[in-house]
Amino acid sequence: MTRAASDTPLPDGRWIDAGGIRTRYHEAGEGEPIVFIYGGNFGTADSASSAYTWSLNVAPLSARFRAIAFDKVGQGFTDNPPGDDYTMAAVVRHAAAFIAALKLPPVHLVGHSRGGFAAMRLALEHQHLIRSLTIVNSGTLSPRVGTNDVVLSQPPYPTGTRECARWVYESYSHNRAIVTEAWIDAVMETLALPKYRASVDKMEKEGLKITRFLPELARDKRETLAWLAEGRLQRPVQFVWGANDRTAAVEGGRDLFEMAAAHERRALLHVVNHSGHFPFREHPERFNALLANFAAWASA
Amino acid sequence: MSTLAEDIVEVAGARTRVVQGGPEREPILFLHGGAPGATLYCSGAHVWSPCLPLFANTRRVAALDLPGFGETSAPQDGASVDRAGRFALALIDALRLAPCHVVGHDEGGLIALWAALEAPAKFRSVSVAAGAAAAPSGDSVASLALLNPPRPLWSRAAQAWALERLSYTPHHIASDFLDRCAACADAPPHRAAIAGAGKSVLASIPAAKARLYAHCRARAFPVPAQLVWARHDPLTSVEQGIALFKLIAERQPATQFHVVNRSGSFPFREQPEAFHAVVSAFHDGLAAAR
Repeated sequence: MTRAASDTPLPDGRWIDAGGIRTRYHEAGEGEPIVFIYGGNFGTADSASSAYTWSLNVAPLSARFRAIAFDKVGQGFTDNPPGDDYTMAAVVRHAAAFIAALKLPPVHLVGHSRGGFAAMRLALEHQHLIRSLTIVNSGTLSPRVGTNDVVLSQPPYPTGTRECARWVYESYSHNRAIVTEAWIDAVMETLALPKYRASVDKMEKEGLKITRFLPELARDKRETLAWLAEGRLQRPVQFVWGANDRTAAVEGGRDLFEMAAAHERRALLHVVNHSGHFPFREHPERFNALLANFAAWASA
Repeated sequence: MSTLAEDIVEVAGARTRVVQGGPEREPILFLHGGAPGATLYCSGAHVWSPCLPLFANTRRVAALDLPGFGETSAPQDGASVDRAGRFALALIDALRLAPCHVVGHDEGGLIALWAALEAPAKFRSVSVAAGAAAAPSGDSVASLALLNPPRPLWSRAAQAWALERLSYTPHHIASDFLDRCAACADAPPHRAAIAGAGKSVLASIPAAKARLYAHCRARAFPVPAQLVWARHDPLTSVEQGIALFKLIAERQPATQFHVVNRSGSFPFREQPEAFHAVVSAFHDGLAAAR
């Protein structure tokens, strides 16, 4: 398989205060801003997302756009939420504060997986910040049953090891070969941060995942889907789905498209073959082209 | 904006109208839909008019009249999917378009898929728009969209009726477009199709589909393929589009499926900017990966 998009490293990280949270981000290029929100959540021990997730997208898209990938509150290098505020609401509030802190004009917002939920919620709550919305393989937002716990529970390797992280991302993918050493390096770097380990303690040892994060997410999801169904999203929106995702079925993407398309003319659904959970890493050229052409149409 | 020219080209013993233009880059051939003497509106190169200039800004484009449409006469014993496919291949040679992308609507989509099976080296990719003719139909219930057409069939009024019935809204059915459809209906090739073997394209569809499906099953569809369905197409459901996607995707890695909103059977007319974005994205992505 050809792979023209090289694994260009992200531009050097910068720091900004976003709503009192010290926030790390990477940006390249000029033009209309594209802001990427990756998936996962703070305090996971088997794997860990960071801005590196978008390493195949930021540099190619920077030729036409100001492409920005940041670390969500409690993830990557960004500080943890204060106190016990380990909630999706805190993630959305921080992401909105980040966009405001950079004083960006309305952005093309892209959200993947759990980040797709955050992106949709951010768009619904802060529509003035948004020019267009792209949701990628988001089981968290989908009204269907997510199968992450079915596919990814009890990895056959010890928690916190390279082998464990590799197994998780390979299980997410159609083509296991896309899980590169550089990707796993980025995961291990995050897992090793003392502040990240503190978030694992909060979520797992103190039990905030069960007592707070998941129940509040479930409540917010009910409200978010109701808002989407009643037509509150009033921006161009596209749903990009890897066809072979074992954790977030393509039917869920179609359900979301139907909900949004009932109220917004500029709505598209795209299904990408031979792609699991990460179409922007399995087929970066095709994903980047979908994003660039959609953004151009949304801005016309 | 690039200007489009209308030329008459001699292809395989017949004359055809070709609308073409744009810079010499990544050419796209457009194959319209319809079965002459059977489909209740007369398609042709003119069906692409809202989206052709969008593509021609950056690409070479060519749209033709298939046999039985416009001034392009069909063979004595009628038109068919494979004859139309051979005609398209001959035009690609005559205009030196290869390797090109092809975009086909409905029957034109099936013709494009047929041509790519026949001569894969001539194609960079195939895009099927609102591909009712190519999609698996199983034992689908009949579409009632065109149940009670006004007479006489193929009058300007009857074609306007059919086009509206197949559309999400009638906003794209402008007077100059209807003029083209009416002129096509009155031209000798279409009159001959009504009088003679008019249903022959329809009769050839099951065999063309069977060949396509067997090829996808046993080998692989030979070039990247994109299916662009419309959310309100009365002739083919999103489920049917996904069924065709799964069939092609099984063995062709570079397969994509898309749904365009607020469009009936003519996404390239009803939502031309969305259609342009979706097709351009597919071509751009393939080019970047080359």
